[in-house]
Amino acid sequence: MSPHQFDIQLVAVIVAASCAIPGAFLVLRRMSMMTDAISHSILLGIILAFFLVKDLSSPILIVGAAASGVLAISLIEAVNRARLVKKDASIGIVFPFLFSVAVILLSKYARNVHIDTHSVLLGEIAFAPFNRLILSGMDLGPKSVYVMGSILLLNLLFISLFYKELKVSTFDESFASSIGFRPRLIHYLLMAVVSLTCVGAFDAVGSILVIALIVIPPCCAYLLTDSLFRMILLSVVFGISAAVSGFWVANWLDVNIAGSMAFVCGVFFLVVFLLAPQRGLFGIMREKRRQRMDFAEASLLVSLYNQEIGETVKNHPDSRGMFRSADFASKVVEFLKRKGEIAVAGGKLFLTEKGRERARMTVEGR
Amino acid sequence: MSSGEQNPAVPAVRVTDLTVAYGDKTVLWDIDLEIPSGSMVAVVGPNGAGKTTLIKSIQGLVPRVAGVVSIHGKPYEKQRKEVSYVPQRGSVDWDFPTSVVDTVKMGSYGDLGWIRRPGKKEHEKALSALEKVDMLGFAQRQISQLSGGQQQRVFLARALVQSASVYLLDEPFQGVDATTEKAIVRILKELTAGGKTVLAVHHDLNTVSEYYERIAILNVGLVASGRVDEVFNSENLMKAYGGKTSFFPERKSAKRAV
Repeated sequence: MSPHQFDIQLVAVIVAASCAIPGAFLVLRRMSMMTDAISHSILLGIILAFFLVKDLSSPILIVGAAASGVLAISLIEAVNRARLVKKDASIGIVFPFLFSVAVILLSKYARNVHIDTHSVLLGEIAFAPFNRLILSGMDLGPKSVYVMGSILLLNLLFISLFYKELKVSTFDESFASSIGFRPRLIHYLLMAVVSLTCVGAFDAVGSILVIALIVIPPCCAYLLTDSLFRMILLSVVFGISAAVSGFWVANWLDVNIAGSMAFVCGVFFLVVFLLAPQRGLFGIMREKRRQRMDFAEASLLVSLYNQEIGETVKNHPDSRGMFRSADFASKVVEFLKRKGEIAVAGGKLFLTEKGRERARMTVEGR
Repeated sequence: MSSGEQNPAVPAVRVTDLTVAYGDKTVLWDIDLEIPSGSMVAVVGPNGAGKTTLIKSIQGLVPRVAGVVSIHGKPYEKQRKEVSYVPQRGSVDWDFPTSVVDTVKMGSYGDLGWIRRPGKKEHEKALSALEKVDMLGFAQRQISQLSGGQQQRVFLARALVQSASVYLLDEPFQGVDATTEKAIVRILKELTAGGKTVLAVHHDLNTVSEYYERIAILNVGLVASGRVDEVFNSENLMKAYGGKTSFFPERKSAKRAV
């Protein structure tokens, strides 16, 4: 691995970790698409900041970007709270408006300046190693590592200080408010953190990858765990794995790095979506099949049991008419025989001691 | 706890001139209500009568157009810790990744204040609240695996952890099984016997006389409030529900007398 390759992966890993942390809360709050809104709204901030400082490389542009992200979020919240339109619509109303204002300003007053979302914010991770931090002649490594490293530390600090507040206000907003936490303040703090993370990360790796890294790893984690803390931890693990394996996929196929990282995120999700033990598609299907079989076994056993104790039996078990097909009936009988709960003698079914016990437990409600 | 210093002559909850509107629709109109300390009060009324809004606006969760709320004689804002809130079970996402005991622990967050984390003491408190609602065996269970009745018990346990003196419950019996309903009533009666005050939004008019000693009948305005045996009558119910109820308390008590 060349130093160049190492630098790219280092930047990607830091970006992935800092995106996954606030991402978990965005996903739980059903606000994943806020990142999309932020990604478009920040152009306005960049342009206004540029008019102010007239310098494309000034860090003030980043501050402007983050501020307009927060502005977008506040406007969305304001439209939302008026309860006149639905929540998702308020996102769709605000960010195209801010974006279009930016486009008008740009084409009217800054036509000769090379400024657009692409040049300032659609960063290209392949170039991350070239933009280096040099202090008094010393090369300290890629600038992005320091920018995103600080953002990661800030995110970690934020979440470790306000974990409990974030948890309660995400789960039950009105309860949180009734015990004196201010869910709206927490909302804005979270959104400020998201906005800053987005701006920093857009600059380092580009916007689609950032959206993928904020939304997809927490969604994978959500399907795999029942604890918020583990969900955040797993999100980070997924994000980092997608970053590293995405890099090597890109290297192997000789394609765009950010693209293949986002692609790996999608593949991760597909796998988890299908294979998650309890919540995955296959898991749910397996559980349904198991329940169906469980119920069929129990009804056959109970029917035999009732017959034994001399109760009238609606469906005679030997007729196997209690099941939707003869095939399924033979399968149930086969399963029960293998478990040793019934025996067959002279073409008739009998309960074994074990089967009788299970039938009795079912009848008597455990 | 400050509940020891309360003067029983001062109402636990006093609502004066409370008016709430959503947009141009008035939801609550000029409500004056006094809830004596240690009483168990039903809030009844037809759909859209503003029952939930009353519970929420007492706590300032929805903005008031006008009105003042005091708890034990002091403004609500200074008495937040005296009030425990059990929202409607359906108001949260039960797929949220957390366990039963952690959900109950949230009841202690208010006392902890900002930043401080729950520790062993809060864990013990949560477990003992779970024991009170008969859910100790479910402590480590994920909340999405609970039935409606179990969810309601978890919410009640969370409120018990708060060590407040006034309990505001929004439809605690909605969609719960008979066992849970009985268990909740028992716990609420224990609370009022211990001097706490309970105000619950209630739907089933059949059980009002059995569960509560006081009632507030609501339909945007306050139709009547007072002791159940004094104000829970067909005249007041007709005023609140119009022709939309076939329940007549007198007929029921007359039947019982025979």
